[in-house]
Amino acid sequence: MADAHAAHDAHDHKPSFFVRWFFSTNHKDIGTLYLIFAIIAGIVGGAMSGLIRQELADPGVTFLTHFTGGDVDAALNFYNVLITYHGLMMIFFMVMPALIGGFGNWFVPIMIGAPDMAFPRMNNISFWLYGASGILITASLFAPGYGSQLGFGGGWVLYPPLSSNTGSPGPAMDLLILSLHLAGASSILGAINFITTIFNMRAPGMTLHKMPLFAWSVLVTAFLLVLSLPVLAGAITMLLTDRNFGTSFFDAAGGGDPILYQHLFWFFGHPEVYILILPGFGIISHIVSTFSKKPIFGYLGMAYAMVAIGFVGFIVWAHHMYTVGLSVNMKAYFVAATMVIAVPTGIKIFSWIATMWGGSIDFKTPMVWAIGFIFLFTVGGVTGVVLANAGVDHYMHDTYYVVAHFHYVLSLGAVFAIFAGWYYWFPKMTGKMYREWLGQAHFWIMFVGVNLIFFPQHFLGLQGMPRRYADPALAFDYWNSISTYGYYVTIAGMAVFVVAMIDAFFVYGRKAAANPWGEGATTLEWTLPSPPPFHQFNELPRFDKGDAKAF
Amino acid sequence: MKRSLSVLAGLGVFAASAALATPENGAISMLPAESALAEEVHFFHNGILLPIITVISIFVLGLLLWVIFRYNSKANPVASKNSHNTLLEVVWTGVPIIILLVIALPSFELLFKEEVTPDGKQVVARGDGQTVDFVFPNDFPESRMVSRASQLDVLVDTGSTRSVLKHRKDFTVKGWGERDLVVSLTQPAPSGASVILRGGRSTQNVSDCPMAKRYVDGCEKEVVLAPTMTLKVSGYQWGWTYSYPDFGSRTDPEDPGSFVEPEFSSNMLAEDQTTPELYRFEVDNRVVVPVGETIRVTTTARDVIHSWALPSFAIKVDAVPGRFNETWFRAEREGVYYGQCSEICGLRHSYMPIAVEVVSRPQFEAWIDAQRADAGLPAMFGSAATNLASAEAAAAE
Repeated sequence: MADAHAAHDAHDHKPSFFVRWFFSTNHKDIGTLYLIFAIIAGIVGGAMSGLIRQELADPGVTFLTHFTGGDVDAALNFYNVLITYHGLMMIFFMVMPALIGGFGNWFVPIMIGAPDMAFPRMNNISFWLYGASGILITASLFAPGYGSQLGFGGGWVLYPPLSSNTGSPGPAMDLLILSLHLAGASSILGAINFITTIFNMRAPGMTLHKMPLFAWSVLVTAFLLVLSLPVLAGAITMLLTDRNFGTSFFDAAGGGDPILYQHLFWFFGHPEVYILILPGFGIISHIVSTFSKKPIFGYLGMAYAMVAIGFVGFIVWAHHMYTVGLSVNMKAYFVAATMVIAVPTGIKIFSWIATMWGGSIDFKTPMVWAIGFIFLFTVGGVTGVVLANAGVDHYMHDTYYVVAHFHYVLSLGAVFAIFAGWYYWFPKMTGKMYREWLGQAHFWIMFVGVNLIFFPQHFLGLQGMPRRYADPALAFDYWNSISTYGYYVTIAGMAVFVVAMIDAFFVYGRKAAANPWGEGATTLEWTLPSPPPFHQFNELPRFDKGDAKAF
Repeated sequence: MKRSLSVLAGLGVFAASAALATPENGAISMLPAESALAEEVHFFHNGILLPIITVISIFVLGLLLWVIFRYNSKANPVASKNSHNTLLEVVWTGVPIIILLVIALPSFELLFKEEVTPDGKQVVARGDGQTVDFVFPNDFPESRMVSRASQLDVLVDTGSTRSVLKHRKDFTVKGWGERDLVVSLTQPAPSGASVILRGGRSTQNVSDCPMAKRYVDGCEKEVVLAPTMTLKVSGYQWGWTYSYPDFGSRTDPEDPGSFVEPEFSSNMLAEDQTTPELYRFEVDNRVVVPVGETIRVTTTARDVIHSWALPSFAIKVDAVPGRFNETWFRAEREGVYYGQCSEICGLRHSYMPIAVEVVSRPQFEAWIDAQRADAGLPAMFGSAATNLASAEAAAAE
């Protein structure tokens, strides 16, 4: 590897545009590509949620019919397609590429003092498999699913028989399966790359117990990916053969069982939600420490809390399935195991607060996002404890309470962590500063907006409004319309974000220093210029001698 | 279905006056509980979980606000360097564990109450003014035998009043956990009165137990009797089929294949056939079940997965092709209760509501006989006309 790069290592010259961005093996360029990919997917997924909220603003199917020439059935299908692809887009094509592919690629090698990822070419194929996956899922949107209706409208969980020939015989579902295969392969390759890099390429003297928490979080996430994604791949491959080659893994008429799919899916699906949030935990730790000008409180506890969350995350999957007909003893086990997760999560929340305690806190944009994250994630976390109890989940399951819960931890948790990370590392990645007040305005408008969207959804759920309803009853109208107003506020916040970015790139023109955040920013990326050179650490930083600090 | 619809119309006096359990625009809490078990679910959520999570959220918010005001760079220009405090870390690991245990204990109790279909048994004896000893055949499997006072209810019904007797004060019991339980009343049951013995391990707090009593578990308990009927639910795109196997019979006694049971489809009423409030809830044929009796519900589906939900009774059970799932409920009050399909099932997922009409026993029997007549079966409980007349009389009361 060193030989392959020797030619341009010396002069830091960059390859031509096409070679640089299409054949890229540079971890920072690939990280940038992932971030661009995530932004595009975020715009698509966010637009989909806008269509969903607009449809739910008023009772009756009144909005989506504008897109279907007044055809109500097509509008109902379109609604189901929207909720399905909104979920898939946001999970697989926005949050994962942003946190792991984007920030992970950019900063894990730098933070551990490595020149690049262990397998730069595999890094390249990881990204472009994602590109191919994105094309397939887009194609799936425009392929027939149920009858002549376009797209697959059965929810992101793809439960058979709705996703098998019974419920969705058209090619939309096959394209979707192939898309997830590629996304999964991409993520597995990426995860292998991260594990290898972190285990083998840490700077001399940087033991695992000195490694920055973001690298820890990506390490745990990578293990979750490697262990869980093959199970998803297996499940959707079985679905594919059920659909096309006459097997009946999930077809009761042929001796199969639709519930088998759900077990396999959630064996992947539950670790997946930690895949989405763990890198965010890592980012928040750095930001809180940086702007409090204090080392992270309880570093080892923080690292092993993530390991614990990752481990327990694998043995709680059936809490998504309390109503499918599990035996009571099985439910009791999953109740107990699920509640255990609250303990390491609590350790993280309190350790973040303890990091701030006694600090000298600057409320710069990344920090306000991080504090917003901590509170909103707590709210989402405690409703998770409610849902963990099967006895009450029989009431809540598949209602809007669940929608509110997982949007608090993901939309307000993971997405706030992404914005926190974006504002934290934007100067480092681009070499430019943004206008502080625009970042602050973005935060406050978004904070109000997302709470307005999702907090009333708890009430809808308690009143019994089921999920995935294109046309909820009149009695749900009040909170649904409030929720839709919240979307308008959120969109206004996103508009501020766009303005802030255009301003930072083209108008503001303020160059970022190597370390714009001051004494609290101690990880290695702040020792490099902003933006970092095309290749960094020609001479490795040393932690065994010298004064380099890991965290 | 035409005839049974007319029967329902006959019951309409009652249906129109009964409470309709539908969500309320702008409401923020759970739908009113209509079974004793749903009340326990409500207590677990409103009385235990909600206070705990609210306090935790406010506590975290309070800590955040405190560090924001106390430790901002103006108030505290020099940051401390502390990064460890073993005691603190032990506390914030230990205290959540204790909180989780406080949640887990009632959670498991509730879960088992919901999941284990009641198997309580009732025997009725006639008092003669002299007899004090009554036998309750404790013929449950070993693990379900009546072995404690809380698992046996003794009631005396004189026709005009029904009283619940108190253990030790009004009666004593010999033979806990044995085949025959002998209940000895301290005073002989009045002549002509019914002595009702209810035993079983499926017990619950009685309905309307106040919240304060629930915290200390000072509620009166009652034995929940085994189901008196099974409701078979089958989901399809996009409606439900209901059948009543307990009330079917063979048209040809020699031919098992000739078994016919009351069975009908239930589909959402169109927008112009009902009120705006009930649109998306109301159906053409409601499920009819008797009040105060345990109803076993089994669900399955013909095409894709559906989910049969009744929030008023805090039940939700998926209808899965190739599987029979089971749950149960016991309505405390007559009325009409609504639910909606709760597992995405395709285009018209939001258009397959569930409507359950809970009626008195005589009304139920009249309805069953009418259903049987539709299916070409003879009446099971007596002539439909007499039953209906008594049902209407009951409704008029």
